[in-house]
Amino acid sequence: MGPLIPQGFVNPDLNLFFAFVIGLGFGYVLEQGGFSNSRKLAGVFYGYDFVVLRVFFTAAITAAIGLLLFSYMGWVNYDLLYVNPTFLWSALVGGVIMGFGFILGGFCPGTSMVAAVIGKIDAMVFVLGLMIGVFIFGSFYEDFLPLYTGENLGSIFIFDTLGLTRDWFVFLLVLVALVAFIVTRKIEDKVNGIETSKGLFAPLYVGPVLIMLVAAIVVLWLPESPSAKWFETDAETVLGEAAEGKQFVQTEELAYKLLNSKENDYLLVDIRGDEAFAEFTLPGAVHIPADKVLDLGYKKLLSESKKPILFFGFSDTDASQAWMSLRRTGISDVFVLKGGLNQFFETIFFAETQTNTHQEMPLFEARFIERAREAFQSGEAAEKINVKAKPITTIVEMEAPPAGQGGC
Amino acid sequence: MEQKPKPYMNPYLAGFLLGLVLLAAFFITGRGLGASGAAKSVVIETIGSISPEYADSHPFYASFFATGDGRPMKNWLVYLTMGVLGGAFFSGFMSGRAGFAIDKGPRISNTKRLIFASLGGILFGIGAQFGRGCTSGAALSGMAVLSTAGFLTMMAIFGTGFVIAYFFKKLWINA
Repeated sequence: MGPLIPQGFVNPDLNLFFAFVIGLGFGYVLEQGGFSNSRKLAGVFYGYDFVVLRVFFTAAITAAIGLLLFSYMGWVNYDLLYVNPTFLWSALVGGVIMGFGFILGGFCPGTSMVAAVIGKIDAMVFVLGLMIGVFIFGSFYEDFLPLYTGENLGSIFIFDTLGLTRDWFVFLLVLVALVAFIVTRKIEDKVNGIETSKGLFAPLYVGPVLIMLVAAIVVLWLPESPSAKWFETDAETVLGEAAEGKQFVQTEELAYKLLNSKENDYLLVDIRGDEAFAEFTLPGAVHIPADKVLDLGYKKLLSESKKPILFFGFSDTDASQAWMSLRRTGISDVFVLKGGLNQFFETIFFAETQTNTHQEMPLFEARFIERAREAFQSGEAAEKINVKAKPITTIVEMEAPPAGQGGC
Repeated sequence: MEQKPKPYMNPYLAGFLLGLVLLAAFFITGRGLGASGAAKSVVIETIGSISPEYADSHPFYASFFATGDGRPMKNWLVYLTMGVLGGAFFSGFMSGRAGFAIDKGPRISNTKRLIFASLGGILFGIGAQFGRGCTSGAALSGMAVLSTAGFLTMMAIFGTGFVIAYFFKKLWINA
């Protein structure tokens, strides 16, 4: 399902509208949390106010666990999320410079904008400085390039770097956060000279933290890869259908439907290789190689097809595999041409070579095949369909952010 | 007339809500939040309109005008930031916190505070380019997708802050 915009579920023109709406929430929460006050923000470094740590940690953990749960439920495709690439030295140097900026300025960019808009003059000056900083970086861009683009480790994950599994890492992260919350509360009380720390275990404080802990345990407890997501068909059902041969469409049925295009309700999918498809195919067929059936663009086309899908290859082996993969993802109206193109042509064109079977066939069927043969040989069927088969190249253009241009 | 500002939200609740906003950003767009990108867009747009020749000849700016539709301001992060300004103003206004003020430590003058604020902004502007994002874009969003860069940047920012805090304590505290 998600992320919505990269997968084309939402009109890209609405992209900027969503940006604005998300920004409204972002700004509102930051201001409500007290991030519009530089003295509160700087407090984290001197122990008199740990609001930054609390909000920051809680937000990161909430989003991280939320994404894992969404991914587990199949609501979001984790592979399509933008994972900012790790340019080792650039990230560290940048972080150190920003650390200096934080202490001197008392803000970070997001919080400075929040503070500036409600009238904090120190924040307005900070925002101005921010732009000067960008200009300085731009002016020395070429000198900075080796550092800026050096040591690119790609979009790597912290749990891989640390050699942990993802779920254990998240669990440990939550534990670290909980310890940090309690310790910093103690420090804060001490620095501010507060004797009792009655707020420490107040329900309002412990509540959200407990929810996170439970969520982390759920993440840990869930199996590594679920046997079936809620929208998927389980393996037994698919196996049962395959054993009964429910997926097969007979040659005659397809030939009839091709001849009577009004009744042709199939989306024909040629799953053979590129060369075979370029040479010839059935009228109106689209081309999706067997190993690409589950690729995002193709899968989207197939799952959105209002017509039943009919896979065909030279035989029905590859088509059956494509059928099985697609059926597993939960798409139900999928079929396979029994015997594939080989049997199709054998039945339609070369029926006279099998004189024995021909004789045994009921008369109307023989006549039907006769007519089908004529139609295909004279190209009547292709004319009737009046659609040229064209291969599909790309359905959705994935918008991968260019490396090195990660924008905060 | 003088109205006492409402207290701030419980930080854990604020964090939880911020996490939901971040989650929504990822669910809808596949990307996290950000703030410094908008400042960058403003700079690029400004340079581009003041001196197109300079922007074209300079690789840092040229790449932004060469790719896409050449409109740095028609950018996701710019619209996000406009939303941030709107949301923050609404929140500050409704809670009685809107109004001109300078927040500073007890031992420094307003002028000094403003000088250091601008210095901090300049450093953050430079650092956010190296870090490929600031506290929200690189650290927070990066941590949400468990990227190594996110955790590295977060630790570098706050680690540096803690290490050097002692030397700049005059800016913020009495001790």
